[in-house]
Amino acid sequence: MQFSKNWLSEFIDISLSTEEICSQLTMAGLEVDGYEHIKSKITGNDSIINLDITPNRGDGFSVLGVARELSVINNVKLRLPILDSVPDSFKDDIGVKVCSEGPIYFGRTLRGISLKSKTLPLIAERLKLSDQKLIDPVVDITNYILLELGQPLHAFDRDKLNGNISVRPAQKKESITLLDDQNITLDSDCLVISDDKEAIAFAGIMGGKNSSVTKTTSSIFLESAFFKPTSVRGRARRYGFQTDASLRFERGVDYKLQEFALGRASSLLQKTVGGSFGNIIGTTKKNSIPKQLKVGINLKRSNKVLGTNISKQKAVRYFKGLGFSPESKDDAITVISPSWRYDINIEADLIEELARLEGYDSLPQTSLNPVYKKKTKTTEEILNDALTSKGFNEIISYSFISPEDHSLFGEENKTLEVKNPISQNMSIMRTSLVSGLVNSCIYNLNHGQNDQRLFEIGNTFISKKNLVQETKTLAGLIKGNVSAENWSEKSRESSFYDLKGIVLDLLSKFDIEYSFKDNSNNFLHPGMSRSIYFKNQEVGFLGALHPEHLEKLGFKEDVFIFSIEISNFINKAVTSFIEFSKQPLTSRDLAILINKEITSEDLQQVIQSSAGKFFKDIKIFDVYQGKGIAEDKKSIALTISWQSMKNTLLDSEIDQAVEKIVNSVKTKLGGELRI
Amino acid sequence: MNLDTLKQKISVLKSKANDDFLSSVSKEDLDDSYRSFLGKKGEVNLLLKTLGSLPQEKRKEAGKILNELKSELEEKYLSTSVSLSSSANQERLNKEKIDSTLPGFQDLKGSTHPVTQTIKEICEFFERMGFDVESGPEAEIDYYNFEALNVPDDHPAKDMHDTFYLNNSGLLRTHTSPVQIRTMEKREAPHRIICPGKVYRKDSDLTHTPMFHQIEGLVVEEGASFSQLKGLLNDFLEDFFGEKVELRFRPSYFPFTEPSAEADIRWNKNWLEVLGCGMVHPNVLKGVGVDTKKYSGFAFGLGVERMAMLKYDIPDLRAFFENDLRFLRQF
Repeated sequence: MQFSKNWLSEFIDISLSTEEICSQLTMAGLEVDGYEHIKSKITGNDSIINLDITPNRGDGFSVLGVARELSVINNVKLRLPILDSVPDSFKDDIGVKVCSEGPIYFGRTLRGISLKSKTLPLIAERLKLSDQKLIDPVVDITNYILLELGQPLHAFDRDKLNGNISVRPAQKKESITLLDDQNITLDSDCLVISDDKEAIAFAGIMGGKNSSVTKTTSSIFLESAFFKPTSVRGRARRYGFQTDASLRFERGVDYKLQEFALGRASSLLQKTVGGSFGNIIGTTKKNSIPKQLKVGINLKRSNKVLGTNISKQKAVRYFKGLGFSPESKDDAITVISPSWRYDINIEADLIEELARLEGYDSLPQTSLNPVYKKKTKTTEEILNDALTSKGFNEIISYSFISPEDHSLFGEENKTLEVKNPISQNMSIMRTSLVSGLVNSCIYNLNHGQNDQRLFEIGNTFISKKNLVQETKTLAGLIKGNVSAENWSEKSRESSFYDLKGIVLDLLSKFDIEYSFKDNSNNFLHPGMSRSIYFKNQEVGFLGALHPEHLEKLGFKEDVFIFSIEISNFINKAVTSFIEFSKQPLTSRDLAILINKEITSEDLQQVIQSSAGKFFKDIKIFDVYQGKGIAEDKKSIALTISWQSMKNTLLDSEIDQAVEKIVNSVKTKLGGELRI
Repeated sequence: MNLDTLKQKISVLKSKANDDFLSSVSKEDLDDSYRSFLGKKGEVNLLLKTLGSLPQEKRKEAGKILNELKSELEEKYLSTSVSLSSSANQERLNKEKIDSTLPGFQDLKGSTHPVTQTIKEICEFFERMGFDVESGPEAEIDYYNFEALNVPDDHPAKDMHDTFYLNNSGLLRTHTSPVQIRTMEKREAPHRIICPGKVYRKDSDLTHTPMFHQIEGLVVEEGASFSQLKGLLNDFLEDFFGEKVELRFRPSYFPFTEPSAEADIRWNKNWLEVLGCGMVHPNVLKGVGVDTKKYSGFAFGLGVERMAMLKYDIPDLRAFFENDLRFLRQF
């Protein structure tokens, strides 16, 4: 809502600077978005004030409403413009019917007008200052009234009307071509203005093309009506637009203003376009007019909530100024909500009125008492600390991704889509965090960052029937060298085992039973990847990106990624100390030659199960394939250690254990000791 | 053997030992000499064994002389040892001088996203005040995002939230307020909760991204008042910016609070909106079964990116989601 400051003088006499007015309005809840000093040829020094009106204050969408607010704040009288009455020159034969959704309708016919006449200079200037285009004197005056009083008016070409006017709900599949040439098919909860033949306006929103005023129009029918907010709300938006009229009607127009607005328009029209006026036609469906609510406020309670000490006299004065007709008894004040305020329904609404007139800033301030609560680290904090200390940079990417990214990394058939995306590139809710990491990696690679360690913690979305399964997930990516470059030695390129080490370190921080199984994700290299399981449920993966994906995405080096669902992570807590052995640790190194298809995990399991009760630990220190051993074999060298809680183990005991190990490796895996 | 012969032997031994100690080139060398003179089978002990061949009356004197020799040699050994090791260290020091101005071998620099850091910092303040951190789903349903928050269908207030709708008839939450409703449904009053998280609005320009982060707080307890709300937010902003801030409250509108307010801070001479807040609307409390005769409540919400922009002087909102390492590594 933008208007000229001097326009306020139609309603109030105050001599405040623009800055003071703006500050008063902002602090009263009609926020000033900006203002600009200008010089008017007609009224001298002036300012353009731009308001940002909240949806509860439909009354703020007019110069009258703003003036009323200022009159209360400054305790000055508000006056309405005096109407020059425009006498009827003929009796109009048009009939008007209203309905419960549009219960008030006033109309007046004006014949023999000239649209060639000029809009009055003051009106023209004020409209321009309100950023309103000048169209023709009739439309200009309707716009002027809309801005000044907040009452939307509409002018029909009288000669294009067929028979009587009615306000009614749209019929099934009824369509209308609007003033701006768009043709829409109306829903049955939309309201129309209709003549005997067809709909001539989308009620409270926009007039129809069929009845519109054109250059050749010589007679008009001026409408000043009231439509209930519920019958206009959201309707224009449904068709993707909004008008000055719908903006006001859906927030609530003063339902006692229609006849006055029509009178004001008549007097301005008479001065501008001339012509002869018919009598005012008015129909009101009384029991459908919004009820003026009685709302009570307990001043004691109100003062407690606000921490204030507002006296009854002061409260009554505020309410009177707002037009609330207050009545008081003891601590209670009862008000009647005025016809221009739709936001006065309960006690809290009146408390807000007192607060804002008193000034929010002047309300007292007290501290809230702290309450002790034990604080523990969250899963995310633990992961964040661990990863950042390993040189990872946290990223945050959008939860919606492109269909292309989704087809590369997502789970098809489980897609949750955004129905009204910003763009196609942001239309699918991610089922995995991988695309965000990969895209960030590419972005940074293009900006010269070769060595990258990225991670993100965020939700993934999977559609299950009509429900959404949202899963908190951690995913990471490593690429390039494992360590920062230095002048002394060459850094090594990251490998699958660096990734696995990172994942193991992270998992070790939580109290969870996990296992690795064969991977089933098709965007990973099948020979360099694993799936992560908790119990029997797959919760993640780790591995190198599939060579085809690398190629598609333009990577020239391997990229390793991991992902784990973290919603079930339980922080590790030391419940009690475990006694450790003070006896010496005995260890033996073995090199075992086995078929190269056998995994180290299988070998370790066989060794562990046959190593006897004093078995302590097993560590692989070398894996070798190549010269000196058969092509289908590999050598795994490990250190096995034993320890007893009670005594030093004898060499003979260890020898026995080693013999057992060698035998089982031979029988179970066909492996042998390499000498 | 007589005493004179012994004395003569001692004198020879003494000068020999002195020579040997002094000519040692290393600690090991010196220790060898020590052993050959002062060890169990060393020459001093050998001499001691010959005392028996002296006449009875001379033995005492001879023993004294020999003990003197022993302690003299011990002393010599110690002083030689000290000077030897100090010269060995000196030699090492001379040899081992490096250019200590060359760079150290550092790890890759990890970093936490500024949004995460800001959320943590803000939540920590409220946790110290006794707030629990709560979270909820980002894919919501109309009921929790609007209806339970006193926003009816088609209400113009919905215009304030350009909502993304999903193909499952749900929507992406436009604020973290649904978490307040879910928490109040789950637990009995009183409440002190803080809800950080991602929110989504169909808006994309210089000052808006279609996804951003919000933190909302809720207090429902006996006697919760607007003055406490003002005090709490004032304390919070001073904690966050680490200095006194000029703060102003002015009326605003949110369907779920009444009275509603917006808080502005003075920033480079201008007022800058940073927080929305208000007393929780009775309809919201009644909807989740809170006894409004006993309890009152207040709530507040703020945009995380905006707070981070102010704190770290970041000019462009989009920097938060570009994930440029040159940006991220600064945090």
